[in-house]
Amino acid sequence: MSAVAVDQNLLEAAVGRLAEDGLTALRKKALSNFGKTGFPSLRHEDWRYTNLAAAAELSNSCLSEPSPPAAPGSVDIGQLTAEIDAHWIVVSNGTVIPETLSALQEAGVSITPLSASVNSVEVHIDDPLSSFNASLLSDGLLIRIADNAKVEKPIGFLLLDDAETAAGLSQTRFIIDLGRNASAAFVELHRSSGNNAHFANSVIQIELGTGASADYVRLQERGAGHLQIGRLQALLREGATLNYTSIDVGGKLIRNDVVATIDGAHATANISGIYLADGKQHIDNHILIDHRVGPATSRQNYRGIVGGRARCVFNGKALVREGADGTDAEQSNHNLLLTDTAEIDTKPELVIYADDVKCSHGTTVGQLDKTALFYLQSRGLTLEQAKILLTRAFAGHILRKLPLENVKKYAHQMIDRKLDHLTGDSGQ
Amino acid sequence: MLEIKNLEVSIGDTQILRGLSLSIGTGEVHAIMGPNGSGKSTLALVIAGHEDYKVTAGSVHFEGQNLLDLAPEERARKGVFLGFQYPVEIPGVNNAYLLKAAVNARRKHQGESEIDAFEFLQLAREKMKLLEMDPSFLNRGVNEGFSGGEKKRNEILQMAMLEPRLAILDETDSGLDIDALKAVAKGINALRDPQRSIVLVTHYQRLLDYVEPDYVHVLSKGRIVRSGDKSLALELEERGYDWVQEAASA
Repeated sequence: MSAVAVDQNLLEAAVGRLAEDGLTALRKKALSNFGKTGFPSLRHEDWRYTNLAAAAELSNSCLSEPSPPAAPGSVDIGQLTAEIDAHWIVVSNGTVIPETLSALQEAGVSITPLSASVNSVEVHIDDPLSSFNASLLSDGLLIRIADNAKVEKPIGFLLLDDAETAAGLSQTRFIIDLGRNASAAFVELHRSSGNNAHFANSVIQIELGTGASADYVRLQERGAGHLQIGRLQALLREGATLNYTSIDVGGKLIRNDVVATIDGAHATANISGIYLADGKQHIDNHILIDHRVGPATSRQNYRGIVGGRARCVFNGKALVREGADGTDAEQSNHNLLLTDTAEIDTKPELVIYADDVKCSHGTTVGQLDKTALFYLQSRGLTLEQAKILLTRAFAGHILRKLPLENVKKYAHQMIDRKLDHLTGDSGQ
Repeated sequence: MLEIKNLEVSIGDTQILRGLSLSIGTGEVHAIMGPNGSGKSTLALVIAGHEDYKVTAGSVHFEGQNLLDLAPEERARKGVFLGFQYPVEIPGVNNAYLLKAAVNARRKHQGESEIDAFEFLQLAREKMKLLEMDPSFLNRGVNEGFSGGEKKRNEILQMAMLEPRLAILDETDSGLDIDALKAVAKGINALRDPQRSIVLVTHYQRLLDYVEPDYVHVLSKGRIVRSGDKSLALELEERGYDWVQEAASA
């Protein structure tokens, strides 16, 4: 059981050191919330597989030795962002690089610091990690997409945590508000430069107004020393569509929570993801689709490729509340285990309180199909090539649905880079 | 081309081939016939290198080399091709991608440069036309959602692209309607070459009306029990397999 907790005194002192601004009241409230819970322990059902002791330890050490926010390190930001055509907002160690923000000029898009707009939005601080995030938040962003605006070029968030010199701690908070019938695409790219320990904690809130639609792709390729906890808190109004895909290949300990609340009829939430893990990586995906209103549709489609001594967790839940009739919810989670020492804990859950619903789930955990491997070998491919090809095809089921061509290409490259490690690592 | 001597093969604890000997010369077309369970598919899979089949005795030589020492992909690269009885569906792996990878693996082995995209497409389209296959099959997943007949044509397409030295076609005729059978036969006949040997593994004589073999062998209980020319196939069609089996055990 996790013995290390965040030291509330250290946290309070760190919060006190932050400059007085529009967020001060929020931080205090969040700090108080966090004080009541601390980080969840393994005893908590939603956290039984993911131990936050290391995150707490790292937090304590960073909180006790306050350091000024680091400037971007030796990473070439231009190169990192070149492959995906987007309006890139660069966030280095939790701090938005102002120049990247001022450069963003797009009709129908308005971006303001959260400190200046906090009273016009509801900031989610209802769970321990979100309250931890808000209490230490230097600032966040409020991104509004105007009614009927169709934003063609995606908005990119480069979350760059530089762990070259020392361990670090960063909090990121974006609140995205899509107006009625607005549409936009977002790319969240996680990168790092060093291999030091780092704990990144992000909360993205996204509200889709009536008839709005958003594509959101999260690409995580952090260094091997990184702990990353991320939450996507989505609210869908009538007829809104959210297409969310999350891809994890990097990091040491990754935990993603996606909570999508369907608050209007005919809304659609497509939540999908891929995780590739090797070594001793730990990647945990928790998804909750809260169907409050029907008819509405949700799809959860996650795939995992797990090798080495890695451990991955999938917990997908569809909650259909009383009266949410006409809900159509599907969940699937398929996994490839490449080694005997890899582990996957998969748990799809359907909790249904309405009568007229269509819900299904399916999960599999397996190895590569031997018949297919032999077939490919009989055509001249080596066993290694055949394995890579089949593994890539397995991931391709998620990738081929990605919305933007250059995002798709980037995601493929990211997966290929990881597969080179994984299939070499499998020792088969 | 292929020299099989006293081959004994087991899967698990079950012995399937019991001292099979067969010699196939360059440019010859052989048909191997036999009832279900006689070991026909086992023979085909052993030659291709399937790891589940354990060779407990005997030898298989291909162009003077011990084939049993080679990994399946090495056999393929040297020009051994197996047309599968049940071609596997591989969703997400593009048919064209696999064809090209297979062609390049073979070319690389022969010390040739990789095929360029234009040349590849031209060649594939030409072969597909011969097999009466729609070019859209190139862009689909390997055998994904193909009908039985389409899968078999796809096998022949791969063979046509790979131009193997030795092709073993395992029940390529099964499950085909007459039009598909004719198209597949046309594809096989187009590949007949003095430098290429073909082995047709089949249960029925039907395919042999369209692809005339030079030799016909009857496989029963893991051994070749009778060999002859194409008239043997006709005789089997007329009289069934029982008389050969009886004659063999007598």
